[in-house]
Amino acid sequence: MSEVLVQISTTVIEGRLKDIAALTNSALSSGLTAKDVLDKGLMPGMDVVGAEFKKGKKFVPEVLLSARTMQTSLDILKPMLAEAGEKMTGKAIIGTVKGDLHDIGKNLVGMMLEGSGFEVVDLGKDVSPEKFVEAVKKEKPDIVAMSALLTTTMRSMGHTVTALKEAGLRDGVKIMIGGAPVTSDFAKQIGADAYAANAPAAAEIAKKFVSAN
Amino acid sequence: MPLYILACRVLQSIMEPYLRDANIPATFMEYGFHRTPQLMTPALQEELDRVVEPSVFIIGYGLCGNGLAGLKAGQHTLIAPRADDCITLLLGSYESYIREFTAEPGTYYLTKGWLESGSHPLKEYRELLEKYDQETADWIMDEQYRNYKRLVLVAPDQAELDACRAKAREVADFCAERWGFQYEEKLGSDAFVKTLITEACKLTESTDDFLIIPPGGEIKQEMYWR
Repeated sequence: MSEVLVQISTTVIEGRLKDIAALTNSALSSGLTAKDVLDKGLMPGMDVVGAEFKKGKKFVPEVLLSARTMQTSLDILKPMLAEAGEKMTGKAIIGTVKGDLHDIGKNLVGMMLEGSGFEVVDLGKDVSPEKFVEAVKKEKPDIVAMSALLTTTMRSMGHTVTALKEAGLRDGVKIMIGGAPVTSDFAKQIGADAYAANAPAAAEIAKKFVSAN
Repeated sequence: MPLYILACRVLQSIMEPYLRDANIPATFMEYGFHRTPQLMTPALQEELDRVVEPSVFIIGYGLCGNGLAGLKAGQHTLIAPRADDCITLLLGSYESYIREFTAEPGTYYLTKGWLESGSHPLKEYRELLEKYDQETADWIMDEQYRNYKRLVLVAPDQAELDACRAKAREVADFCAERWGFQYEEKLGSDAFVKTLITEACKLTESTDDFLIIPPGGEIKQEMYWR
C-alpha cells in the first residue's frame, strides 16, 4: 500500500481538513488514479470512523470533521472520476423520514453513495411516505435509503415500505434503512431489504444490490 | 420482594419525594448515556446483576435510543415506563410528548439535569472552541443544530422552571442569535413518574404506559411501539 494512501486514510480518520487537499494532489501527481485515492484512501478511512462511532469512541463532531475532510478530497477527485468514464453505478433516493429533522447521517450516506458512483437524489429531511412514493415514480431509482435518529420516528420507515407496496413500486427498488436506533431486526420486521450500521456499510450494501441486478 | 429504583439523574429531583415517602433505595446513574446508548445497556446491566436477591426494579429511563434494548431481567422483575426518552417522563405523559412533537418536530429540549450537567448547545460550543478554531467550531454547531426551530425548557413544576430560567435563557439567546430558535417554557408534570413509583409496582402485566419484564425476560425495542 502506498504511503500517501495510508496518510489520506489517517487524515480522514483524524479529520485534518487542512491537510487533505495537498495529500490528494500529491497522490494524484505520484501516478495514483482518482479511484485509487477514493477506494484505498478515503473509503477505508471512513470505515474506521464508522466503526469507532458505533463503539462510542468517536462522537458526532469528529465524524462530521472526517466527513468534511473526505468531501474536500472528493471535490478534487470528482471531475477526474467523471473523466475516467466511470459509469454511474446506479441511482439512489435518500431521505430522513417524516417527523425527523436529523440529517447528519443521511448526508454522510449521500456522500458515501456519491463516492461509490451513485447518482443520488436527496429528498432532504422530514420526508413523508407519500413524498418517497412520488420520488420513486419520478426518478425510478435502484435504491431507496431512509434514515431516522429517533425511536419516535423510525416507524415511519415501515409506513414508507407499505406505501411503496400499495403503489406497486416495492419490487422495483431495494430499500435500505439506517440511523442510531435502527437495527437489522427492525429492517426485517418492516420488510426492508437491508440495514446499514453506518455510512460506509450503506455504500457497500448499495453496491452489492446493483451489481446483483 | 425488595423494591429498587435504577434511574437517570435527570429524574432524581422529581423521583426523590416519592422515594423518601416509601423508603425505596435508589441508584441514579450519571447523565448523558443517551448519547452513547451502546454503553448504557452494560452499565445498567451491571447494576441489576449486582443485586443478589430477586427484586423488583423500577427503571427510570425511556428507551433512550435503544439504551434499554437488550437489558436482561435475570432473576429480577423490571418495570419500565413506555416512553421514548425522558422528555415524555418530564412532560408527564406520552400524549403530551406527542402533542409537542407534532406541534414542532424541530424542538430541542432543556431540563434542569441537562443544564446542570452541561448537555446543551452553548456548553458544547464553548468546548468546541477549546479544541478547534472558530470557523470549525461554528461549522460543527451549524451542522448539528441548524434544523431545530425551538428551544423548550421543561420542568415538572413552576418552581423548577423559575430556578432554571436564567441558565436556559442564556442558552436560548445563543441559539436564537445563531439559528433563530424560539424559546418556550413548558410546565410538565410528575404524574408519569409518580404512577411509575407508586402504582406500577402493583401491575402483573404490561399496560399502555408501563412494561413489566418478568424474570428471564429482556427489554426489546418493539415493546415501546404504540
